[in-house]
Amino acid sequence: MRIACPHCGLRDVQEFVYLGDAAPQRPDGLAATEAAMFEYVYLRDNPRGLLEELWYHGVGCRAWLVVRRDTLTHAIEYVGLAKSRKAGAAA
Amino acid sequence: MRKQLHRLNSGGLIDRTQALCFRFDGKNYDGFAGDTLASALLANGVRLFGRSFKYHRPRGLLSAGPEEPNALVELRTGARREPNTRATVVELFQNLEATSQNRWPSLGFDVLSLNRLAAPALVAGFYYKTFMWPARFWEKLYEPLIRRAAGLGRAAAVEDPDHYDKAFVFCDVLVIGAGPAGLSAAVAAGRSGARVIICDEDFRLGGRLLAERRQIDGRPAADWLAAILAELASLSEVRIMPRTSVFGLYDHGIYGAVERVNDHVAVPPAHQPRQRGWRIYAKRAILAAGALERPIVFPGNDRPGVMLSGAVRAYVNRFGVLPGREAVVFTAGDGGWATVRDLTEAGAHVAAIVDARSEINPESKTMALRVGARLFAGSVVEATHGGQALRSVTVRDASGKRARLACDLLAVSNGWNPTLHLTSHQNGKPVWEETIQSFVPGRLPPGLAVAGSAAGRFTLAEALRDGARLGREAAVEVGFAAAAADPVPATDAETDGLAPVWRVRGNRGKAFVDLQNDVTDKDVELAAREGFRSIEHLKRYTTLGMATDQGKTSNLAGLAIMAEQVGKAICETGTTTFRPPYTPVAIGALAGHHRGKDFRPVRLAPTHDWSREQGAVFVETGQWLRAQYYPKPGEQDWLATINREVLATRSGVGLCDVSTLGKIDIQGSDAAEFLERVYINGWKTLPIGKARYGVMLREDGFVMDDGTTSRLGENHFLMTTTTINAAKVMQHLEFCHQVLWPELDLRMVSVSEQWAQAAVAGPRSREVLRRVVDAKHDISNEAFPYLAAGEITVGGGIPARLFRISFSGELAYELAVPAGYGDAMMHALMAAGEPYGITPYGLDGLNVMRIEKGHAIGTESNGQTTARDLGLGRMMSSKKDFIGRLMAKREALVQADRPSLVGFRPVDTNNRLWAGAHFIGIGRAAKTENDEGYMTSVAYSPNLKHWIGLGFLKNGPTRIGERIQAVDPVRNGEVEVEVCSPIFFDPEGTRLHG
Amino acid sequence: MAEQAKSIWRPRSAWAGIVEAGQIGVDGKPGVTALTLDDMGFATLIVPPGSPDLASATKRMIGLDLPKKAFVSLSSTHGVAWAGANHWLLFARQQAGFVDLLQSFSDHAAVSDQSHARAALTVSGPRVREVLAKGAMVDLHSSVFPVGATALTSFAHVHVQFWRTDDGPDGPIFEILVPRSMAGSFWSWFAASAAEFNCRIDRD
Repeated sequence: MRIACPHCGLRDVQEFVYLGDAAPQRPDGLAATEAAMFEYVYLRDNPRGLLEELWYHGVGCRAWLVVRRDTLTHAIEYVGLAKSRKAGAAA
Repeated sequence: MRKQLHRLNSGGLIDRTQALCFRFDGKNYDGFAGDTLASALLANGVRLFGRSFKYHRPRGLLSAGPEEPNALVELRTGARREPNTRATVVELFQNLEATSQNRWPSLGFDVLSLNRLAAPALVAGFYYKTFMWPARFWEKLYEPLIRRAAGLGRAAAVEDPDHYDKAFVFCDVLVIGAGPAGLSAAVAAGRSGARVIICDEDFRLGGRLLAERRQIDGRPAADWLAAILAELASLSEVRIMPRTSVFGLYDHGIYGAVERVNDHVAVPPAHQPRQRGWRIYAKRAILAAGALERPIVFPGNDRPGVMLSGAVRAYVNRFGVLPGREAVVFTAGDGGWATVRDLTEAGAHVAAIVDARSEINPESKTMALRVGARLFAGSVVEATHGGQALRSVTVRDASGKRARLACDLLAVSNGWNPTLHLTSHQNGKPVWEETIQSFVPGRLPPGLAVAGSAAGRFTLAEALRDGARLGREAAVEVGFAAAAADPVPATDAETDGLAPVWRVRGNRGKAFVDLQNDVTDKDVELAAREGFRSIEHLKRYTTLGMATDQGKTSNLAGLAIMAEQVGKAICETGTTTFRPPYTPVAIGALAGHHRGKDFRPVRLAPTHDWSREQGAVFVETGQWLRAQYYPKPGEQDWLATINREVLATRSGVGLCDVSTLGKIDIQGSDAAEFLERVYINGWKTLPIGKARYGVMLREDGFVMDDGTTSRLGENHFLMTTTTINAAKVMQHLEFCHQVLWPELDLRMVSVSEQWAQAAVAGPRSREVLRRVVDAKHDISNEAFPYLAAGEITVGGGIPARLFRISFSGELAYELAVPAGYGDAMMHALMAAGEPYGITPYGLDGLNVMRIEKGHAIGTESNGQTTARDLGLGRMMSSKKDFIGRLMAKREALVQADRPSLVGFRPVDTNNRLWAGAHFIGIGRAAKTENDEGYMTSVAYSPNLKHWIGLGFLKNGPTRIGERIQAVDPVRNGEVEVEVCSPIFFDPEGTRLHG
Repeated sequence: MAEQAKSIWRPRSAWAGIVEAGQIGVDGKPGVTALTLDDMGFATLIVPPGSPDLASATKRMIGLDLPKKAFVSLSSTHGVAWAGANHWLLFARQQAGFVDLLQSFSDHAAVSDQSHARAALTVSGPRVREVLAKGAMVDLHSSVFPVGATALTSFAHVHVQFWRTDDGPDGPIFEILVPRSMAGSFWSWFAASAAEFNCRIDRD
């Protein structure tokens, strides 16, 4: 596979580290419940088709990326920066 | 020069002025440049190439290409011996040496051909059914027996002396196959200016044109070929790669290829690789891999002398070799008739043409008459005769009448299968095409197009047309302006009528579907009867389509017979999935430079050479090589060395490299807040100029890493990580910042490589450092107390950092200097410490001292332990959120009897301890249900003069003074140990503050 | 004592004991030339997103434009290479004065001295791209990687940053930075890969 890093361009997948589903959001703060955290840490869907995933360009610019990939065909529809995702965060 | 009895006097693409001498099975032969090993042997009249896999039947050449199932040989000798090499693709070179395989004692007389008598035991699935009981017989008896009887070649037993390369290349258009379609495509794309790579597995470009007598634009095809190759060579962005097999297609336009750079010479020239593995990144690709001719399944179809009709033409037209003088052609279509023509023109006599079709066109009948061949329409060959070489065949006509015809060659023609393998690597199921009675490519991977025969369009005219069109289209798709299209050249007339014969039933002899795996039509029937009807099951059960040829000639016949057995059409049974590699690939070509000591990069500390000068023994720690210990002459063993190093450090001063620890520079107004969130303990209160020990959890609550972090400024911290986890922690911190909390004002970078760092430990360490640190810096106990951290200078102004931290439990410092000064630092510290007997120590000495102090390392924080397990539970702040906080509180992780860290000492202090031992109550059986924990680290303490250990024990801290068994059934059985504090040495920590 | 200290505290090249001047591989005209760069200063500069003044500071202090994504700005004495989001690598051809330069940059970016963290070398010659292609998973064709382009990637599993400095009479010239600890493994790969083209090696 190849991933089009928004910083570095199209690169071989060997340069990246896979994490998994990008959807779960960490329940931050002292008020977070153990149940919510459990869900965040362990519970994942395993869809056949499009999935937004987190990848880390460790052998490049060190950016964490959100990659929308079809798990069936490996076709990649979109790649963006994870840090741009959080509402209000600077690009 | 020895006479080549079957060599034609003229013709072919061989160089008769360049004779090459070679050996096969110890006998010398001559061939010519341009030959393959197969064509050269055939020219010399050799018919017998090997023995078959299971039955040891004599086998000859079936093909002239990569699909060859029979003619597998061991190529070269000694360290370069390579088994299972197909003689049909081995380019002949001077002094080539090859040996036949799977025969004993000789190819002509093979004892195990008696296997044929035991044939009933070797049917489909025999290894699932036979030799099942008793089990112990398998290893001792059956397996060696089968390995001897059924097998292929022998690998070299010594290291390969050649080297291999791996390389990456990018292009706009990759063309796979340099036959008429591929060459047309390459030139069409190349003319537009696109970057084109054209690969062909052959050493000569031209594909089937090399083997056929065809006309293009009214002239011999060779003229067209020469012109197009010249044009390709003139295009600067076109790269022509002969001897290169594209073996796999991967996601997003990545192709694997292997270039046989120097397989065509005996020994590669100095500094050149034997083979080179390529990873090709292509925006577009055109598969023009051609097609493979199909054999016919009939009794005796494996006898040497039975050959594919297209291969016969290749030997005649390309190699100038006559594979037989008296031939019979058995054909199911028009293809066989071209062979009749070419054989006759080359001087062979065609005794008979056996065409399975009942209707023969008038031109063909005239040709049969002209060449003096008997014509059997609507007929089949139902048996072959002869020992190790064909002498005659039995023909059966439509009425059942039989005729026996003498011949030394039987050319068989049953149509062609597109070489579509690469199209199915990404789940592209081939689809059945009724008109050509074959599978053609199905859904194609993005960016791939298929041209000519590979798409099931078998005529030369279609190949030229497809190639030109697809080449232009590919270039345009990637952004190049289309070059003006030349008219597609005209070709001579051709026909491809076909009515395939999937098998001929007969009552004499075996009819082979898969020659390489000795799978017969009866085996397929048996599999069907036993319920292995799915095509994928058929393959696994019978081994049909396995090994080096991967069913290139056998797949379809197997499917057809299975379809017939289960009463389905071939399109309903489907086909197996072709997976990479298309052709066998040496592991060396995939590894390239990365073998032996270059298997992966090795990291050396900036003090490495100094350690080597000191006689260090090194040990791998992840990618790093670290000094393990520094033996001195006369020391009787490793333990004596370690004891000396530890005692010298604890009584005077020791010196240890710690450069390999990860170091991360963290700056920004939210740096302290960030540390609060990634460490379990607090950081906002850490004063500037101080270091603090921190523990990091994974989000699931288990310990991830630990180390000290120092505050260099209000908004500036320097984190250290363990050696092993440095990259992992960096990735984790980037995750925390970029994914979880991008709003934090934070800048991080690894500075691990910038600093050489050394631990100076022991009661005299301050005195040593005093002589190294520039005089203006006060490092007295008062000015620079325990956990002080500061920027200083050494050597008269060289910027350095000093940390008063200790892993050994002694008064200790870590001094960091820019890595280029690492070597100087060690020499300076040695010189300054000389009066105090400064002693280098390595990882093992450090390990002894940290066990004496009860400090956990990776053996304790092994990914299954929590901070609480390690006795660090109280460090976990309750005033803030941090990674892993909630999951670490899970019920099972906070149960009182969860094993936690304590120390152990042997009750009989003469006993040694073993890491990995499990704790079992005294008097209880060593069973899982009595398991109370395990030992993680042990060392001989030269200070206590007995072995000590750390480990995890249920309710550990409440059981100090209790005795328990440390059970290690693998090594020394049981040792009675006493549970104690994990801090064995200086429990009050007074030395630290000295 | 002072004299002795002076003689001890000399820096050691990252290539010491690894690269020797000379020639490797086949005879003939060198297809590749390698020159170690032993006195360069490097530092990472990182700014908060959207921070405006590093560009003007760079222009003012070393006369170079802060390069955009995947490019490097070069002068005869200094350079600055893009090295990730809001992240640059500042370098000087000589270490003398570099610490002072970093001091003046520290008002405009988070500065981390990396002068000793990288082993640097220049490689050039008509066959240089063929050598690099044995390890680089990036396209080095002029249409994709022109003079002034830089990339963070790996060569033969060693993390590198490199850029195309210029084109000489003998083809492209690249500068490559490798982690100091991996200089030996990098060189082992480079030397083996370059040998078939004849490689001349010069030490700085």
